[in-house]
Amino acid sequence: MKSKMSKTKYDVAIIGGGHNGLTTACYLAKAGLKVAVIERHSYVGGAAVSRELHPGWTYSNCSYVCSLLRPEIFRDLELSKYGLQIIPYEGSATMLDDGRFYAHYSDHDLNYRSIAKFSKKDAEAYERFSKDVMRQCKIIKPLLKMTPPDPTSFRPKDIMGLLDFAKFFAAKDELGGLGEKEIYDTIRFWTMSVRDYLEEYFESEVVKAHMAGSAIIGTALGPYSPGSAYVLLHHYMGEVDGTVGAWGYSRGGMGSITRAMAASLKASGGDIIAGSPVTKILIKNNRSHGVVLENGDEIFADKLVSNLDVKRTFLKVVEKENIPDDFYNAVKNFKIRGSSGKLNIALDDLPIWKSIPEGDPAGTGDLHITQSIEEMESAYDDWKDGRWSKLPYVDMCIPSINDPTMAPQGKHYMSVFVQYVPYNLADGGWTEEKRLEFGKHVMNRIGAYSENFNDIIKHAEIRTPKELEEEVGLTEGNIFQGELTMDQLMFNRPIPGYAQYKTPIKNLYMCGSSTHPGGGVMGAPGANAAREILIDLKKQINTHYI
Amino acid sequence: MKKFDVIIIGGGHNGLVAACVLSKNGNKVLVIEKNEKLGGLANYSEYLSNISQEVLKELNITVEKNTSDNFVSALSEDLNHTVLQINGSKNVQFLQTSASDSDQKSFINLINKYDLFARTLRSFMFKKPPRVKSGSRSDIWQLFTMGFKVRLLGKKNMRELLRVIGLNIADDLEDNIESDCLKGLISNEAVIGTNLGARSPGSILNLLYNQATNNSFFRINKFNTNSFLKSIEDICKKNNVEIQTNKKVEKINISNQSVNSVLLNTGEQIETSAIISNSDPKTTYLELVGASNLDTDFIRRTNNYRSRGTVAKVNIEFKNDIKIKNLESKYLSGKFVYAPNIKYIEHAFNANKYNKLTSNPCLEFYINKNKISANVYFIPYLKKSSHDKEQILKNIKLILDKFIEENQILSSLIETPNDIESKYNINGGHWSHGDLEIDQLLMMRPFYGSSQYSTPINGLYLCSAGTHPGGGITGINGVNAAKQLLKDKGNG
Amino acid sequence: MDNTLSFTKPLLETPFHKRTFEACYNNDWYRWAGYKIAREYSNTELEYTSMRNTAGVLDITPMHKYDIKGKDAIKFVDKLVTRDVTQIKPNQVMYIIWCNEDGNVIDDGTVFCFNTNHLRIFCAERNLNWFCDTAIGFDAEVNDVSDSIAALAFQGPLSCKILHLLNVKNIEHLKPFFFDSFDLNGSNVTISRTGFSGDLGYEIWCNPQDALNVWDSLFKFNRDYKVLPAGMNALEMVRIEAGFIQPNADFMSAEQALRPNRMRTPFELGMGWLVDLNKNYFTGKKSLINLKNKSLTKKLVGLDIQGDKPAIGSVLYDKNKKEIGIVTAGMWSPSLKSNIAFGYVDKDHMKIGSKVFAEIYHPEELEYKKIWAECLVVKKQFFNPPRRHKVPADI
Repeated sequence: MKSKMSKTKYDVAIIGGGHNGLTTACYLAKAGLKVAVIERHSYVGGAAVSRELHPGWTYSNCSYVCSLLRPEIFRDLELSKYGLQIIPYEGSATMLDDGRFYAHYSDHDLNYRSIAKFSKKDAEAYERFSKDVMRQCKIIKPLLKMTPPDPTSFRPKDIMGLLDFAKFFAAKDELGGLGEKEIYDTIRFWTMSVRDYLEEYFESEVVKAHMAGSAIIGTALGPYSPGSAYVLLHHYMGEVDGTVGAWGYSRGGMGSITRAMAASLKASGGDIIAGSPVTKILIKNNRSHGVVLENGDEIFADKLVSNLDVKRTFLKVVEKENIPDDFYNAVKNFKIRGSSGKLNIALDDLPIWKSIPEGDPAGTGDLHITQSIEEMESAYDDWKDGRWSKLPYVDMCIPSINDPTMAPQGKHYMSVFVQYVPYNLADGGWTEEKRLEFGKHVMNRIGAYSENFNDIIKHAEIRTPKELEEEVGLTEGNIFQGELTMDQLMFNRPIPGYAQYKTPIKNLYMCGSSTHPGGGVMGAPGANAAREILIDLKKQINTHYI
Repeated sequence: MKKFDVIIIGGGHNGLVAACVLSKNGNKVLVIEKNEKLGGLANYSEYLSNISQEVLKELNITVEKNTSDNFVSALSEDLNHTVLQINGSKNVQFLQTSASDSDQKSFINLINKYDLFARTLRSFMFKKPPRVKSGSRSDIWQLFTMGFKVRLLGKKNMRELLRVIGLNIADDLEDNIESDCLKGLISNEAVIGTNLGARSPGSILNLLYNQATNNSFFRINKFNTNSFLKSIEDICKKNNVEIQTNKKVEKINISNQSVNSVLLNTGEQIETSAIISNSDPKTTYLELVGASNLDTDFIRRTNNYRSRGTVAKVNIEFKNDIKIKNLESKYLSGKFVYAPNIKYIEHAFNANKYNKLTSNPCLEFYINKNKISANVYFIPYLKKSSHDKEQILKNIKLILDKFIEENQILSSLIETPNDIESKYNINGGHWSHGDLEIDQLLMMRPFYGSSQYSTPINGLYLCSAGTHPGGGITGINGVNAAKQLLKDKGNG
Repeated sequence: MDNTLSFTKPLLETPFHKRTFEACYNNDWYRWAGYKIAREYSNTELEYTSMRNTAGVLDITPMHKYDIKGKDAIKFVDKLVTRDVTQIKPNQVMYIIWCNEDGNVIDDGTVFCFNTNHLRIFCAERNLNWFCDTAIGFDAEVNDVSDSIAALAFQGPLSCKILHLLNVKNIEHLKPFFFDSFDLNGSNVTISRTGFSGDLGYEIWCNPQDALNVWDSLFKFNRDYKVLPAGMNALEMVRIEAGFIQPNADFMSAEQALRPNRMRTPFELGMGWLVDLNKNYFTGKKSLINLKNKSLTKKLVGLDIQGDKPAIGSVLYDKNKKEIGIVTAGMWSPSLKSNIAFGYVDKDHMKIGSKVFAEIYHPEELEYKKIWAECLVVKKQFFNPPRRHKVPADI
């Protein structure tokens, strides 16, 4: 992957080798274009990487689980051939202060009884809840693949797009005719707070808290904020082999996904130029024609695609004089707040939990620490005030239980996702001291639920939004490249009027998670961007996705 | 037994307006009010900010207007208060402020932007909301015109509207304004009476919505409440509407899915073929109609309707005339707001989220010589307990002491949402009979199966703030409900 | 029976498990509401035959049982269901269905009246939330008592005789759709003359502690009258012959359907006779009144199919090969020597005597054979012998 200065001019150069950039590149290369991906690190992957930060251990040190990756992309890019394997895993559990735990199992009946332990009514309501959420997933699925139509435009393409959009609501086919009631349910689901939504189904605090976790991961919303129910969907709409809502590990860590994509790209004749960041996009007469790297290299291409988030693209690598003021201001006001922290821990042994018995499959999946939605909301209150949460919502998993490649024999790797951690601390900025203190704070919380956790930590990587920004380049360390709120979804994402992967600069496109349909290791923004570029180039390609 | 064409449950302003419209069309109408005094929640303020033009036209009345200057003072702890004069939303003037010139300009620009959007909303919000997928041609046409009106804004504005409608007020303010005081002042408008904080998505929509219903940015006093109530009472009298006060409807009797009579707490039973309920949706369905006449799915939705009140009404009488520190006395006739910054509002909201009493509530008040009449929030409605009112008063006193020159409290009256619930029989004691959030607006207000003022029961209609377009003393809910009834009867 | 929650034991065992486990030579278990129930003990044909010839014993403990207690117990059930239950008498059983607001069927079941303040509903799906939400505003408390009652279905022409031999007093005089308390070999049990088989039969409800005694008693006269435990496969056969439809098999329960167009109204299911539009208000009444006046677009009917290859899952066509429906359940009926099925047909083919065609794919030594079979639309109730209704019953 070492860069070799090439004098050739590319058809398309992609700035940033994250999973979306690579996806775009793969599709374009498949269409016969000469493509290069420019990556600042010596390795590709963006936020989907596997890194050996402690000898012998592989960390998925940013994103850590996989379910959203569109199966059509997996298939088109032949990722299996290039070594990608997704391992579904079982269950999830929430550990409680009183020594109990609440668990979800893949076995339907066991799952029922597990919920019934807390509330019989809730165990039954869970079926209704799953059905309703599943219906929402089915509604949104075709929207993911769609280039959002511009509602202000009168172009036939946009009007047809809007009609298509309306069609989902009037759907008679796949969903069996949504009625007025189901349409209102959809609007409610998209706009309500997850707490209000869950309260319509469940009575037990624990049950609600367990479900609400998915709605706050990565967002700058609390579970009481309107619009948070939609985020739930962003975590439920994934699938592993047709099981909607199921999650899996990528064997060898999340880096396997991007490694496979890179291999697929090379096999299609694409180049990867790694090792030096893009410092400037060359623009003449409002047309981009190349980039300048930090090492002084210049790379020229007919079309450029930015995998960077919209803020980084237009505030850092495009010079201000090249973009209209309105657009510049809109980019400046784009909401991309870091709210999550991450700990990657090398463990000497498997943690023994006080509540979950050894061998229980619930202990091998996602483990949450939270007591109630109220506690999660107050964790959010801390974030709003510029502090890390006193009682953070913790989402842990130990991929090495299911994936033998992650840690040495008998040892384990644990990924800990922490919500909420601000990008800016109110009492001055982040310091090394504070970062360590934050890590300690989280580990103490986990330690309180385990017999041996504190004794088996060999190494811990502590990441605040600052680290995420510095390493991956995500502005403010927002994992979705921009918040998933109504004002930044669909035709509003990232900037109203520029939701179709294009920018005010000719020949410059966007393909990152800042664009529709947003974050998660999904690949859809990358593939959608590739489709738009191919349409502009009047090129056709015959794949499952496009 | 007496028999009426229409019985109206609740003599709030919407009920009375409905009575006017119906009686004008030759119906024999009876209004039953639980309290001694008519007007319901309208009595809460001396002045109203808006009475919808449709109502004034429909009833052919003129209402006495408020002639005093429209001052809005945003109080600041450093006593550098900001005072605005407002004459229509387009004409907002700074009389004094500590905010910078550029902030003042941005503030006015922002208000004008919101005003533009609010006017678009207003152009269709006083009509009956269209249902989606009903198949009815008028509904489709109305949906189409709504879309068309939004398009009329032009590309740029339409894009901005579609963006801010889902945005929170704090973000939009922080993008444009520096001054804490001004941000607090606008945020206050966006969240008062709601279960939203300044950082909750949907707060801008609520702001636009309020602006559209009130036809002014700061809910400025424009109409005299008593004059309005008197003129509609006069119409009722003229049209021989019978009004019975101090009587409470206990039950709506239903046979064959149609209303046939009401049962009063006095034991009286009065026959009728149509009823308009001015009571909130939850009370109407769960108490008056009763679960046995409604589908289980419908009851689920009724229970899920969110109507938790957050505002307490507080009247305080002081010994001496009230003076505000560092403020000219001519501004005393205006409105005062204490919501000094976004963080302050957000903290007050935080307590409300957990059903706790904040020690630092937001205030909005008027001064009348030695009396203060204030809206205090966030004071949450409590399901199974009640607030310590002395504590509320103490908290308010601590705030007022910062601004009011030494004075002594003689008496006070505090009505929390719980009190409002019992006094006016409004479930949750909510100002607008239910949160104004996207999922409870337009055709979804109050909920599926009960929109467009109709109910699952033949002959029963809703006209309270729990219907589209919600609260604010506009009277439009009453007119629309009455018209729907007349249309169904075939003589409208 | 240890039924504590553990990941190593995802399924519950009924109080009869000790016996059913011994009898289930095939070790072929079916999941029913989280319980292990035998799908086939040894041979489905024999198990089926016992129910039509002597008597079969089915473990139906997983049935959901909801106690309704309170002053408004009857009023509550009347609000819930489409039939008028206000006149229900103590010891009476009624077959009931309930719908959602759109008039789509949620589930069916039976209601037992102990007294005017105490009723019990038995049904196949979980309904606690629906019942509790329906109970709002009524003086009626809903309790799930599923785990505290063990239940057996004892179905077949000799069922009464065997109970009589077991000294169950006056059992022959128990009328269809009535129940009473009896002493069965020292155990106090509730016996109702109800069942899924469409034949003479009883359902026996007892304390879990008495379960094994009750089970053993029923097999006491096995030397003379061969009684067999019957599994779910045999049950499926008798219920189709009897014309009983099942939620989530023949239609999606309205509470569980993901696709709105998978829900069915009572009229579409041929259960219009259970809908009383003149009774007090019940959930769905308004919609059902509207639906009553509209013509049906599809209906579940009985089918008598040419040949002997089961048609389950087959697509139905008219004579022009236009798709008009689908088969939901089907089997070769040993009693009728006919190939019978339930299927949905469109509005032109719902009349008894209409002809449609089924495209059946039948495996023959690894290769699927396509069979084009003519089907006659008939009544769903294929099997209904006089002994089923006789009072006193045959002893």
